[in-house]
Amino acid sequence: MIDANPIVQMNGLSKRFGKIQALDGTSLDIYPGRIIGLLGANGAGKSTLLRHIIGLYLPDSGQCTTFGCDAGKLGPEELGRIGYVHQEGDLLDWMKAGQLIRYVSTYYPNWNRGLEEKYIADYDISTDARVGSLSPGQRQKLAILLAIGFEPELLILDEPAAALDPVMRARFLDMLLQFIQDENRTIIISSHILSDIEKVVDHVVIMKAGRIVLDSDFDELRERFSRVRVSALSGELPSELPFANVLDSRRSNGEAILTVQNCSGEELQQQAESLNCRIDVQPLPLEDIYRIVVS
Amino acid sequence: MLLEIDHHSGQPIYRQVIEQIRRQIMAGLLGEDSQLVSVRDLASQLNVNPMTISKAYSLLENEGLLERRRGVGLFVAKVAQDRKGRVKARLLEEAMVRAVTAAIQFGIPEKKAAEMLGGLYRKYDSKSRSDSND
Repeated sequence: MIDANPIVQMNGLSKRFGKIQALDGTSLDIYPGRIIGLLGANGAGKSTLLRHIIGLYLPDSGQCTTFGCDAGKLGPEELGRIGYVHQEGDLLDWMKAGQLIRYVSTYYPNWNRGLEEKYIADYDISTDARVGSLSPGQRQKLAILLAIGFEPELLILDEPAAALDPVMRARFLDMLLQFIQDENRTIIISSHILSDIEKVVDHVVIMKAGRIVLDSDFDELRERFSRVRVSALSGELPSELPFANVLDSRRSNGEAILTVQNCSGEELQQQAESLNCRIDVQPLPLEDIYRIVVS
Repeated sequence: MLLEIDHHSGQPIYRQVIEQIRRQIMAGLLGEDSQLVSVRDLASQLNVNPMTISKAYSLLENEGLLERRRGVGLFVAKVAQDRKGRVKARLLEEAMVRAVTAAIQFGIPEKKAAEMLGGLYRKYDSKSRSDSND
């Protein structure tokens, strides 16, 4: 799966809006079959990056190629393979939800009616309500349905869960996992809330000020950092602990808590034995990893 | 094959899958030659990304605990007794290190700790319990 060709290739993309450098020489390849979490603070450039993939924005310099085609020149054939849900959720407010679904579905020969019906039932979408009268959460659910109904190969979700309540959010993430069971599909999901997407992503891209600061397999990222509690088996801890790659440490009364990077559990265990210490190794919470990476 | 994923443990899901399957094989709950659920079915059952399951399976295959039979699927491999013994010893050691370091920290002497271990062993092991009743 990893050997496959990237479906999106960005090469040195730059984009400026007035004084703001939204993208600053960004390069990124997106491989099929993954769920990619795109993280970053508000204003980091996540939405701008996503819009370049489908040619909604054209870069000032650099290239973006989607499905082998210059993103600025995507035709109906390629666009028919991409679903996109954006934050603003621009929909035709004067239509009833059901009418809008029918209207959009006619653009797609491969629209899946069964999936549509299941989604309407599961997410409790009121098809008789005017789109303009829907709550933000309902609007978002409708926008998601319109983006997945034709079973796109590439699904781009820009902060999709922001307006959903916790129960709906959990259902939505489960739905994404069902969607990806078909290995040819790829999902890019942006969020500024890590805990929202940690359950589903297998790859993480973190942006800061228009640049990509991290592009990593999710499990590798998690395993790169650990929190280690070292306690002396008898008496005091040695004043110098010989652990390498320590990012942070606190100590008191014969115990120390360290944040370490790139150390395997076995290595740590061996060091603990030679120091006559007990160690407990825990994974570092994701919020802490995120803070380390963006700082 | 009963697996349970804890999304809040911080432990990557593929590791949780590996550890549970390895333990089940070592405990004989997952016998030699039994076929594993397919990647797609297990991913969909546990509601996780299929990449995660295929990663766990291939690592267990590299470890020699699973074997792929072309066109059929993945099966629990035949593992030599001495290798199995080494894996079991390693897993047991990991569990015992916690108990031993706790004993040392609490100032419980080796002899007392060993007695406790013996007592617990007899309490949980039905075979040795019935032996002692004879």
